[in-house]
Amino acid sequence: MSIVRTANHRPAASAHRRRIDPVKAASFITLLITTFLMLLPLFFMVSTSLKSKKEMLKFPPTFLPESWAWSNYRDIFDTLQFGTLYKNSLIIAVLTVIGTLISSGLVAYGFARFRGRGNQFLFVLVLSTMMLPYPAIMIPQFVLFSHMNWIDTFLPLIVPAFFGSAYNIFLLRQFFSTLPEELFDAGRIDGCGELRMWWTIALPLSAPALATVAIFAFIYSWNDLLTPVLYLSSSEKFTLPVGMASLTSSRFRIPPWHLLMVASVLAMLPIVTLFALAQKQFVEGIVLTGIK
Amino acid sequence: MNNRNRKTSALLLAAGLTAMAALSGCSGGKSAGNVAEGNHGAADSGGSGEQVTITHYTIDSEDRTFIEKLIPDFEKEHPNIRVKVEKAPYEQFDSKLQTLIAGGKSPDVTSHYGYGGFAEYYNKDMLLDLTDLIKEDGFKQEDYHIPDNLMKIYTVKDRTYGIPVNMYVTLMLYNKDMFDAAKLSYPPSDYEDKSWTFDKMVEEAKKMTVVSDDIAKTQYGVDFTWAERDMRPLYFGAEPYSEDTWSNGGVPSETHFDSPGVIAAYQKLFDLIFKDKVSPTSEWSKSVAGQNGDPFVAGKIGMSIGGSWNLAGANDFPFKIGVAAVPWGGNDKVRSTLFVDPLMILKDSKHPKEAFEWIKYLVTTEVQEKSIELSGGNPPVNTEAAEAYYKHFEGIDPQDVKKVYEGAVKYGFESYNHLITNYSQINDMFINELQPVETGHKTLEEVMPVIQKKVTEIIKR
Repeated sequence: MSIVRTANHRPAASAHRRRIDPVKAASFITLLITTFLMLLPLFFMVSTSLKSKKEMLKFPPTFLPESWAWSNYRDIFDTLQFGTLYKNSLIIAVLTVIGTLISSGLVAYGFARFRGRGNQFLFVLVLSTMMLPYPAIMIPQFVLFSHMNWIDTFLPLIVPAFFGSAYNIFLLRQFFSTLPEELFDAGRIDGCGELRMWWTIALPLSAPALATVAIFAFIYSWNDLLTPVLYLSSSEKFTLPVGMASLTSSRFRIPPWHLLMVASVLAMLPIVTLFALAQKQFVEGIVLTGIK
Repeated sequence: MNNRNRKTSALLLAAGLTAMAALSGCSGGKSAGNVAEGNHGAADSGGSGEQVTITHYTIDSEDRTFIEKLIPDFEKEHPNIRVKVEKAPYEQFDSKLQTLIAGGKSPDVTSHYGYGGFAEYYNKDMLLDLTDLIKEDGFKQEDYHIPDNLMKIYTVKDRTYGIPVNMYVTLMLYNKDMFDAAKLSYPPSDYEDKSWTFDKMVEEAKKMTVVSDDIAKTQYGVDFTWAERDMRPLYFGAEPYSEDTWSNGGVPSETHFDSPGVIAAYQKLFDLIFKDKVSPTSEWSKSVAGQNGDPFVAGKIGMSIGGSWNLAGANDFPFKIGVAAVPWGGNDKVRSTLFVDPLMILKDSKHPKEAFEWIKYLVTTEVQEKSIELSGGNPPVNTEAAEAYYKHFEGIDPQDVKKVYEGAVKYGFESYNHLITNYSQINDMFINELQPVETGHKTLEEVMPVIQKKVTEIIKR
């Protein structure tokens, strides 16, 4: 239908020598301005990351660095043990993503595919864990992990991901529910067990939803500050956010914003890369699961 | 593999986890108590030869974690003691400390480096009474050149709870370039110079203030960020908290935030912004220097009254600076705030004796001198080491730093944030309630009775 309509429009438009649609033009300009405004902080982040310490304090701030301090990108490795922090954050985030996908995927599949008494109740119970703010469970959880001798290890940051999280379970359950029953009937006829159907039918068809969950889990773990602060005590185990927070921790000193911006630029890279790689799936995931 | 089985096992797992969490919650609390008890016994028997590890909990920033570099020498002198430094960013300092203590992993030594102050720790019963330890050890503050009045700050009802380690004061920093441009002579560093008054300061500030539509050209004469907001009336001689606050562990029996004296004092400070127009509004400061920034550092302020930590960054400022005395504002006794950071031993410490050894080490003259350099300019509490501190700042006459420091101590009052209970809540409330006055939307007469009511409520908590 839409093809027909454009075809009808075309000759009329060209007859009037490509008249500009004012509504379209206005929305284009609005988008352009918004994009510019959205990119401005990013621009300043990159620009500040290349300024010297003296220049960073200047007011009004310079738009582009007067002298390009590329050495900042080397200095960050001396100021913070940046490589170690980065590696730690990556290990934790990747394992968290794996854990989240396996556990939440499995639980969501259960909720989506099985009906039985108490099913709804359990689901509500799972969802209600979303109501608990982290500070409320902080201390009991710390006590629990401390009894397991997990303090100052990555375990408290990774293992909970292997036990599912309500939000991701909900997201995946909604997606799994949309898969047609016929597919699973076909699987059953071919002699698949439930686990096998989960692995060979449900998961491959759910790439968009899984990509969404993976990105959320990665970003959450990558940005998390409080949990690593609580559980890690040796510097060589710290994560990126902990190291970056230490740059602004002095009450007595001007924070080295230029170095902090270097760290921010570098910290952004995995998320930008991940998003670029999973963008198609991610956008599809949002459309299909109906979250905005 | 049927549905029912799966469901049952899921239920069992859920129940098991809940039970586990509940049980460990109980036993955690209990074991913390047991451990503390057991330890006092162990400490009494004397830390003879047996290897122990103590934890020093501090902020994760260079000016605090430098103590890690002092550990090797200390361990050489005390082969039976190992020191571990545990750290957290400033914002998370308090929550991590609370969790550690609740989780039975209490550190041994720390200070009130977060938002909470000494009085809060004291009233939550987190601190170990050091009095007996001090007596037993024969510790004398004279040996460490710690002034008597500083030792008294962390003494409640004749019991000592902290040993001072660093001392920050209030001082005036001024931008020499701006003074030169306005052809003004530099303000004095001598606290006894009677001509140096608040009004004189305002007069000079007027000569340096340039208000222009172009934000880049605008500059102000003075930024009077003297202490926390609730403390400012004291500068003009008005006392918002009753006298008994300082002797009974930080719980005032009365407050006077709606009294005419206190309101008049605040009025004088807000006049700097709205009547005399020699000080920036908070919005302007934020737009020039960011949320937590300081417009003085950006070279937009002639005189800045603030904590002596501002000096620590002085070697990096893009202009020449000097230090001066805080002008006389009408209070003959108080012209400066002291921020004395003590080292404290927590009640749940497993090795208080060894922890005390470590604290003593940190206040010796030699270590305090070394700490100035290592920390990048932390002011020592040890008066002998202070001589080295005065010489630490490039381009500033050590004589000026010395005079300003000694005057500030003489006319100093310990910061309220260390001395009043539930202080982080009081402070948050003050920032929120005074906001509309700072932006010119409300008057002090409207706001102060509300503050008075809220302070009373917070103190009772």
